[in-house]
Amino acid sequence: MQVTTFGPGAILAAGAAAGRHLGPGLFLLVLLVLAALGYGGFRLAERRRQPRTGAPPPTDEAWRSAPVAGAPPTGPPRPGPPPSPTPPPPPSAGSRLPDALEVTPARPPSDQFSGQPGRTGPDLSSPTVDARPSVAPRLGPTVPFTAPEPADGQWAVETHGLSKRFGANVAVNNVELLVPRGCAFGYLGPNGAGKTTLIRTLLGLTRADSGTMALLGIPVPRERSRALAKVGAIVDEPRFHGHLSGRDNLRVLAAARGDGADNRIDPALERVGLTERADDKVAAYSMGMRQRLGVGACLLGDPELLILDEPMNGLDPAGMHQMRAMIRSLVGEGRTVVLSSHLLDEVERTCDAVAIVDQGRVIRQGTIDELVRGANVTVNVGCSEPARAADLISRAAIATTVTRSEAGISVTLPAGAAREHVAEVNRRLVEGGIAVYSLQEVRASLEDWFLSVTSRFGDPR
Amino acid sequence: MTQDVPALAPERPAQPGAPRAPGARGEHQLARDRRGSWLPTWAMITTKHLELRKRRGLMVVVALLTIGLPFIVLGVRLIFHAADPKTYGPAGSPDVFVGLVNPMASFGFIIAATLGAAAGSTDLTDGVFRHLVITGRSRVALYLARIPAGLSILLPLVAVAFTALSLVTSFAGTSQPASLNENGVSIPLHLDQTQFKSWLLAHPRRAEEAFLGGPVIIQGGNGKAVVTPGPPARLTATKARSRIDRQIQQLYAAYTSAETTSLNPAANEMAKVGLWLVLEVVVGFMVGLGLGSLMGQRTVPTILMIVLEIILTPILASVVIPYLINGQRLIVGVAMDQLRPAVLSGGGGGHEGHAILGGRGLEIPPMPIWAMVSVIVGWILGWTVIGAWRMARRDA
Repeated sequence: MQVTTFGPGAILAAGAAAGRHLGPGLFLLVLLVLAALGYGGFRLAERRRQPRTGAPPPTDEAWRSAPVAGAPPTGPPRPGPPPSPTPPPPPSAGSRLPDALEVTPARPPSDQFSGQPGRTGPDLSSPTVDARPSVAPRLGPTVPFTAPEPADGQWAVETHGLSKRFGANVAVNNVELLVPRGCAFGYLGPNGAGKTTLIRTLLGLTRADSGTMALLGIPVPRERSRALAKVGAIVDEPRFHGHLSGRDNLRVLAAARGDGADNRIDPALERVGLTERADDKVAAYSMGMRQRLGVGACLLGDPELLILDEPMNGLDPAGMHQMRAMIRSLVGEGRTVVLSSHLLDEVERTCDAVAIVDQGRVIRQGTIDELVRGANVTVNVGCSEPARAADLISRAAIATTVTRSEAGISVTLPAGAAREHVAEVNRRLVEGGIAVYSLQEVRASLEDWFLSVTSRFGDPR
Repeated sequence: MTQDVPALAPERPAQPGAPRAPGARGEHQLARDRRGSWLPTWAMITTKHLELRKRRGLMVVVALLTIGLPFIVLGVRLIFHAADPKTYGPAGSPDVFVGLVNPMASFGFIIAATLGAAAGSTDLTDGVFRHLVITGRSRVALYLARIPAGLSILLPLVAVAFTALSLVTSFAGTSQPASLNENGVSIPLHLDQTQFKSWLLAHPRRAEEAFLGGPVIIQGGNGKAVVTPGPPARLTATKARSRIDRQIQQLYAAYTSAETTSLNPAANEMAKVGLWLVLEVVVGFMVGLGLGSLMGQRTVPTILMIVLEIILTPILASVVIPYLINGQRLIVGVAMDQLRPAVLSGGGGGHEGHAILGGRGLEIPPMPIWAMVSVIVGWILGWTVIGAWRMARRDA
């Protein structure tokens, strides 16, 4: 046998051997294949760049044209304020607490969702968590939290001391979260607050650095498979195999899920309104249709808990309305829906309770009414002798601030003030001989409260 | 607002707000679907097969490089021979067989690696991996489902291509000679090395003419054989026997090489070639799958596999680097070359070695069988473990 030693000549010989190995024609074919692969890679990269830089996602006509039966045609599902002769205008986005003379819609007197018409969630009268004792918001503290155990001894989601960091950045910081069963729970926070990271951690998509967590009472990640069998989730934007139809994508996911999930494909498609487009390739779907397909994928497992990360993203107003209606209907069936969002209005309209997260920490959680009730209450009083009325209320030491206006005074009561405090204002004025023409209680919206306690626009106040 | 929305499942509680019983679906159902098991289910395999099969561009390339190559070559030869048999010879011949199997192996390896890389990475690149993980299914099971799914696409194509090649070679090929004609000397066919040596020793003059410097037969430009007088015989019978004793391995290699180029491979040889081809494709797929899963993409793994197959392996199989010989042997292509069936080594002449399938490798000194098997199995298992580990550990 000839043994070739390594050297320049050997390399030439090896090149010749390689040439013999395939032949020049085949080498040319290989080059063509490489060029085709390169071109394919370039096209793929181009296609991936397009959604980021291209036009906004198209509206979803099919979604708009197929409203969920029974949903109200317009307006929020939550009841509006009690009838008044002159309905006040809605607050503008981004507005903070109303000024003294500014009138904002009064929230309903009921402080429990179970007492509101149109709401189907359970009675969420559990007190509010205050997990941020070191930061005292200007609007006052929330009700101290004493977590009651649910009737069956299991929370839908339960985390203790959960932390996740990426290098020096703490994405999830010692999170204590308790989500009751059978409600729509909003996980609310500004962009970059750690909402998605928490969800990814809960679902086992990434590992926690410390802390414990449980889904539906089942500890994860120890019994992750058992827990996730009862959970459906959308994380980030819903993405699918673009070359497959919506139905085939659900088949892929149903096969992984097992447990008869393939029998739920058609009902899920019907429920999210995609039956007619089920056999179209997902690449041709609009963003809204992908969102709905994502919800359909969640429903394959007939889940007890749905975790939806920013489900309203990319939806037009009609689509958001339909998504809201669907979430409420899912809650109506006894499922728990955890909704992560930075859209305050949507969370307020959709959810029974919220946790507010900022810089990786849950800073408040509780029912929306209770959280907002933690803010100061302003009472606009129409009365005679505003100057004397202001002096009278100031000396009574029942108000935080008193502001005079032409028609009367504006009294800011401390956080947590009950309706009796409003009555007390009225009593003092009447006893002081001042004619009271009107009394209007103005409570802060969730948005006002949210902006006051998060650091989105600077340090929390 | 809620009561008119169609229920997902008939067992859904009728009353809005009615809480679902915890674990209402039944723990026994969850246990039955073996969600935590690392073994994939049949449904997972079939849907992964569906996902790969419907990648039209990839499937076109796979089909072209597996069945397209032999079908086009053989089809053209069949048509030409049918149209003008005097000018164009039969479609099948031993040369055509060898000439097609070798590129089929190279392209089969590359396309298998490409498909493997696609199978290992498309869930990630399409953003579906997290949906799959959220189902609670074992990540290892998700990985392992890709193996039968991908191979069930590749292997039938390779089988069809090789069957077509074998059929054309057997039934539309050249007529088989009764004996081997080497430099005008007629030599019996199908001799093993001992029989061949006995024949040479019994016929030293004819052995000299055939293999040791007798007359030379040159293939003329018009296809007719031209016999040129070779150098006069210079060896005595004794010297010829002595040389036969010393060079029997080289002489036998030349004999088998001539036999290979003259005869259609026997059925068992074809079966060996088919098995070797399948092994080449399986190795390519498994390595591509592991590499694709490790890197989370398919472009770079595909390029790496092409570089390995058409640049690194031929070089490392052709050049002996004395202080790196064992490192060279760790290259899967080198081990596969050593396993290359004898029928595919025709024309190479001078290659030694012995292997399970009768191959003689290239210039690399022969590897022990256990070493060859270890290298090949090690590549398959190693990349499978790496791919599964990465899939189990990566953030979805």
